Amino acid sequence: MIIQFLFIGLPYAAIAAVVIGTYYRLTRKEYTVSSLSSQFLESTFLKWGSVPWHLGILVIFIGHLVPFLLPDLWADLVKHRPILIALEAVGFVAGVMCVLGLVVLIIRRIFTSTLQLVTKPLDFVVYVLLLSQILLGLVTAYSYRYGSVWAPGTVYAYLYGILRLSPDMTYVQDMPFVIQAHIALAWVILMLIPFTRLIHMFSIPLEYLFRLPQKVVWTNEVRWNRRSERAQYMESRRYFFRGVAGVTGAAGLLSFGVLEKSGHYFQGQTLDDAKEATLLEKRLKRMKLTAEEKSYELERLKNDAIFIADLKELQPATGKYFIDYEMRPALAFRDAKGLPNLLSAKCTHLGCTVGKDVDGQGRIVCPCHVSYFDIGTGVPQAGSPTEIPLEHIAWHLRATDGTIVAHGTPDGTVATTAAYDAAKSETYKVFIIKSKGVTVA
Amino acid sequence: MDVRSHVSMVFHLDKCIGCHTCSVACKNIWTDRQGAEYMWWNNVETKPGTGYPGKWEDQKKFKGGWKKDGDGLKLNSQNKSDYFFKLFYNPNQPTLEDYYEPWTYQYKDLFDAPAGDDQPTAIPVSQITGEYIDIKKGPNWDDDLSGSPEYAANDVNLDSLTPQERSQLLEIERLAMFYLPRICNHCANPSCVAACPSGAIYKRGEDGIVLVNQQTCRGWRACVTACPYKKVYYNWKTGKSEKCILCYPRLETGQAPACFHSCVGRIRYFGVLLYDADRVKEAMSVSEHHLVESQRRIFLDPFDPEVIAKAKANGITQEIIDAAQKSPVYKYVVKWKMALPLHVEYRTMPMLFYVPPLLPVLGKSTNDVYANSLDGTEFPAMLDNARIPLKYLASLFSAGNEETIREIMKKMLAVRAVKRSEQLHEELNEPTKRMVKETGLTPEEIQEIYHLTALSTFNERFVIPETRREQAIEEMVDPEFCKGNCGLGFNEMPPKIS
Repeated sequence: MIIQFLFIGLPYAAIAAVVIGTYYRLTRKEYTVSSLSSQFLESTFLKWGSVPWHLGILVIFIGHLVPFLLPDLWADLVKHRPILIALEAVGFVAGVMCVLGLVVLIIRRIFTSTLQLVTKPLDFVVYVLLLSQILLGLVTAYSYRYGSVWAPGTVYAYLYGILRLSPDMTYVQDMPFVIQAHIALAWVILMLIPFTRLIHMFSIPLEYLFRLPQKVVWTNEVRWNRRSERAQYMESRRYFFRGVAGVTGAAGLLSFGVLEKSGHYFQGQTLDDAKEATLLEKRLKRMKLTAEEKSYELERLKNDAIFIADLKELQPATGKYFIDYEMRPALAFRDAKGLPNLLSAKCTHLGCTVGKDVDGQGRIVCPCHVSYFDIGTGVPQAGSPTEIPLEHIAWHLRATDGTIVAHGTPDGTVATTAAYDAAKSETYKVFIIKSKGVTVA
Repeated sequence: MDVRSHVSMVFHLDKCIGCHTCSVACKNIWTDRQGAEYMWWNNVETKPGTGYPGKWEDQKKFKGGWKKDGDGLKLNSQNKSDYFFKLFYNPNQPTLEDYYEPWTYQYKDLFDAPAGDDQPTAIPVSQITGEYIDIKKGPNWDDDLSGSPEYAANDVNLDSLTPQERSQLLEIERLAMFYLPRICNHCANPSCVAACPSGAIYKRGEDGIVLVNQQTCRGWRACVTACPYKKVYYNWKTGKSEKCILCYPRLETGQAPACFHSCVGRIRYFGVLLYDADRVKEAMSVSEHHLVESQRRIFLDPFDPEVIAKAKANGITQEIIDAAQKSPVYKYVVKWKMALPLHVEYRTMPMLFYVPPLLPVLGKSTNDVYANSLDGTEFPAMLDNARIPLKYLASLFSAGNEETIREIMKKMLAVRAVKRSEQLHEELNEPTKRMVKETGLTPEEIQEIYHLTALSTFNERFVIPETRREQAIEEMVDPEFCKGNCGLGFNEMPPKIS
C-alpha cells in the first residue's frame, strides 16, 4: 500500500502541486519569485558553497534529463565503454561537488549570525532534502554501478508510464531500498518547488541574451508605440525567436514521433526471442478465444437443441451462465416447482451482462446502471433505467432416454408432460431449443 | 535626431557645507525600513576621502561602468557569456562590510535604568542582528578627515598625483577638503539597466528617471556591481534592489525632490535638459580626454525652432519645453560650461553635474595666516599652486582633463573679481582684465552667473516641468500603495486606470 502511494499517488500529487503551485506563484505572487540572495550579508563562504553546488546540480540535472528525452541517443552513447565510464565519472564528481557545496552552505547558514534573519525553517527542509537526495544518488551510483545503462529501461520506463497516465510500478517495486528512496524523494522535492526558494529555477534570465542594453519605458502611449525602431526590432525579434522556438519544438517532437514510427515500419521489427514469444502467446490466446466462439456458433447452427446443464446443477438463488442461440449470455435458474427458469442475461438497457446472484426479493441486478430484474417474470423494477423485461428462453427438459418431460417458451409459460416424474427429476437434462420450428413432441 | 527630455541636476560644490540635511531628508522618506537601513540614496562625502561604500571609485575591485571596446562599449562587470555564472555568486558585488553595519542605540535603557550612581547610557546595537556592536565604520565615518592617513590616503583619485602633490595635499597644516553630495546620477547610458538580467531596471522615457521594477526584480544583484557609483542597493530583507527614485512622486506633483528641497546651502539646481538619444552611445565612445566635451555636444538648444519641432514630434509637451528654456541646469552645463559630470570616464553619461569648488583650491596660508587672494597678478600661477591640485579635481570631474577644470576655475575667478571690484568701487587691474577677457564671458553673463549662484530664489533653482496628469504614475496606482515602497514603477506599458 505504501509502495502504491510512493510510486503512483505521490507522483501525481507532486505533478499537480508543481503545475498549479508554480502557475499561481509565477502569476499571482510574482514579487516573491526568487531565491533570497544572502551574498550581501556573507560572501566568502557563499562562493565556496553556491558555485560548486549550482555547477554540480546543473551537470547532474542534464545527466538525468538527456536519457529521459533522447533515450536512443543515450543508449548509443553508453554502449561504448570509455564513454560510459567518462559519463559516470563526471556525474559522480558533480555529485561530490554538490555535497561539498551544500555542506558549506548549511554550515554557513547555521554559523553566520546575520544569515539567521533571512533564513526560514523551510530553507533547512530544502537543504536536508537536497543533501539526502544527492547522497542517495551517490550511493546508488557507487553500489549499483552503471545507472546510465540500467536506469533507462527501468526507472525511465516507470517515468514514461507516469506521464502516459498508465503507471506501472513493476519496474521499480522490487528495486533496492536506496534507489526507491531516491525516486520517492525526487517526487517530494518536485512537489516542494513552488512553495520554497526552489522556485528560483523558473526565473533563469535567458531573455537577457535577446535584449538591447538599454530599456526605456514611456508612460506616454503615443511615444511608447514609437519607441526606437531598433528596440521594436529587437522586441519583435525576441517574440519571433520565441515563436520559432515553440513551433520548432512542437514540429520537432511531432516529426520525431513520425520518423521513429516510419523508421520502425521500414526497418521491420527487430525483437528478441522473449519479446517475440510474449507477442506470439498473446496472439495465440486471441486465436483460441475466436476458435472457441466459432465452435459455439457452429454448434448452434447445426443443432436444434443444445445441452445446457443437468437439472440438479441448477439452483434457485445462483444462476448458471450459458450462451443462447443468438450467442448472447443467458442465465439458468431452478424455480420453486423444481423446473428450469431460463432468462436472457443481456441487460435490456445498454447490453451489459446481468449478475447471477439472486437477492432476497428474487431479483438479479445489472452492475452497470443498477437495473433490478425479477427472475420470475424478467420485468425490471420500477425506477430502473430500463423498462423492457428480460426475455425468457425456450427450453426442453429431457429424461435420460430423450423424452421431453417439460418445456418453456419465450413468453415464460412452462408446462410439464405426462412423462414428468418429480422423483426422477435429478436425472433430467436441460436443453435450449431453436425457438422456430421446434415443437413439443 | 531623437529628442528626449531629461530632468537633470547641478550641485554647486562651493556652497556645500556638508551638513547632511539632504541625506537625512531622504532617509526619513524612503529608506527608514528593515533591509534598507544601511542605504543612503543620498550621501555626502568628504573629499579627499574613500566615500561610501568604501573605495567605491575603485573599479578594479567593483567593476562598475562601461569600458571602450573598439568603436563600441562593453560592460565592465559582465557580458552575455558569463552573466549566467555570476548569478550564483557575483565576485564584484559589495557586501555589508563595504558599506557599514547599521546601528541604533538602546534608548530605552535611558528610561528603564534603575536608580544608581552612574549615568545610564544607551548602548549601540546592530540594526540588523539586534546584538551589541562595536562601531567601527559608518556611512560618513571619514567626515571632515580629509588629511587623515587612514581614510583620505586611500582615495582612489589620489593615484593620479605625484608623491609630492600628495604630501602637499595631505599635509595637516595645509589640509584642504570639500564635500561631495551624491545621489543616483540617472545616467543617460546607465550600466545598471544594461546589466539587469531580468530586465527590471528601466529608464522612464518622459524624464529619464531610472527605476527598478520591484515586481520583476529577481535579486540577481548584477546592477549593484554594474553601477560604478554604487548607487543601486540590495535590500537583504526583500531580496530586491533599490535605488534613488529622484522622488518622482514629488516631481509629478510639482515639488522638488526631498534632498533638493531640504538643502541648507542652496547648492542644488534642478531643471530639464533636452538631448539627442541617438548619439548617446557614440558620445560615450570617444577617448577619455574628450568625454566631457562630447557629452556637452549632445545637449540640444531648447530655443532652436528645429529642436522644438522635433521634440514636439517626439511627444515632448510644451510645458517641458518651457521648463527646458528656463532650466538653470542648461545654463550651468551647456551655456556657461561650468558644471561637470562626476567620473565621466565610467561612460554612463551621468546627468548630474557638479560645479567644482573654487574655495579649497584658492585658499592659501602664508605664514600661518589664511589668505584668499584675488589679485590678478598671481594668476595663473595661483591655479598651478592650488591647495587641491587641479589634477585631483580633473580625476573626479573631467576624466583627467585638467584644461577643462582650469577654464571653469578661471570663470569663477572672473565672476568674483568683477563683483569684488563692483562692491569696492575699484577698477580691475590689467592682469585681471586679461583673465576676465580670456574666459569669454560677457558682462551680462557674469551678472547672471553671480545671480544664479548667490541670489537665486527657490523657483529659479528648481524649474520642475508640469506633469501631464495622464502621464503621471501616481495617476495609475493608488498613492497609498507607494508609501513605504521603493523603486516602484512599471516596465511594461501600464494599463490606464479609469
